[in-house]
Amino acid sequence: MTAILFIIFAGLAIGCAISMVSQSNPLYSAISLIGVFIALASLYVTLAAPFIAAVQVIVYAGAIMVLVIFVIMLLNVEHAEPRRKRLRFLVPAALGMAAILIAETAFILYSVQTSENRFPGTLSDVGLTRSIGVGLFTGYLLPFEITSILLLMAIVGAMSLARRTSVLSSTARVVPGSQVLAMDIVNPRAVGDLRAVETGTTAEAAHLLGVDLHSDPERQEEE
Amino acid sequence: MEPQLSWYLALSAILFTIGAVGVIIKRNVIAMFMCIELMLNAVNLTFVAFSSYFQDVNGQLFVFIVMTVAAAEAAVGLGIIITIFRNRESLDVDDASILKL
Repeated sequence: MTAILFIIFAGLAIGCAISMVSQSNPLYSAISLIGVFIALASLYVTLAAPFIAAVQVIVYAGAIMVLVIFVIMLLNVEHAEPRRKRLRFLVPAALGMAAILIAETAFILYSVQTSENRFPGTLSDVGLTRSIGVGLFTGYLLPFEITSILLLMAIVGAMSLARRTSVLSSTARVVPGSQVLAMDIVNPRAVGDLRAVETGTTAEAAHLLGVDLHSDPERQEEE
Repeated sequence: MEPQLSWYLALSAILFTIGAVGVIIKRNVIAMFMCIELMLNAVNLTFVAFSSYFQDVNGQLFVFIVMTVAAAEAAVGLGIIITIFRNRESLDVDDASILKL
C-alpha cells in the first residue's frame, strides 16, 4: 500500500520537475513547482512526518510560491530571445553532467545496498509537532534564534533592495516595472509642477531626463 | 512490498539532478531561482527520509531551518530580481553577466 503511494507521488514529483525545467513560460514552471511541493508533502506524510508536511504546504506552496508568482506577474516577462552563440554549449554540457550525476548515484545505491533497509515499523513520536518543538527549544535554541535574526535581516534587505531610491515627489505613484516621474524632475524649468509623466523603462526615463545611457565614455572605450 | 530508504534517496537524487540541470540551462533568472528551490527540496527529502529511518528528530529540525532559510532567500532573491529588471529591462542572466550597467 505504502509502495503504491510512493510510486504515485514520486512519479508526480519527477513529472512536475521535468515539466518545470522544460517549460519556457516561467508562470507554468511555477505551477509545476507547486505540484512538486505538494507531491513531496505527501511523501513526508508517508514518512510519518506530518509537521514537516504541513509546513511544506504552508511555507513553500503557500508563501514562497505566491511571492514568486507575484513577482513573475509584476515584471511581465517578455518572450525569450534565442541564446547567444557563445553560450550554446550549456545545454549539452548540462545533460552530460546530469547523466554523470545519475550514474554515480545509481552506482552508489546499487553497490552499497547490501542489506534490506526497511523503515522501522514501530510507531514513534519523532515527526509530531511536540517532539519538534521540544527539539527546537532545547538543543537547537541558538540556531532557532539565529534563524529569527536571519529573517529580520531578510526583511530589511528585501525592503531596501526593492525600494525605489530616486527623488520622487510625494504625489507621484510608484509602480514596479514602470516609472512615474514628476514633471519638475523631467523638466527643471517646470519647478513646482507635480504632474506625473509615465515611462515604461529606465531607458525611456533616461531619454526624458536627457541622459544618454550609451554615451558613457568608459563604456565606449570598452566596446 | 514496503518502500525502502534507498527508494527515497534515489528520488531525491533524481530531483536534485533535475534542479541542477535547470539552473544550468535556464536563462530566465526567476526560473533559475525556482530550480534552486527544487534542489533545496530534494535535500529536504533526504533529511526527512533519514530522520524517519533512524527515528531521530534532528533531521526534521534541520528541514525546518532549511525552510526558514529558503524563505529568507526567496525574499532577498526576488528583491534582487526586481532591481535587475529595473536596471536592465530584462530577466535574462546572459544580459546581466557584467556587473556595471
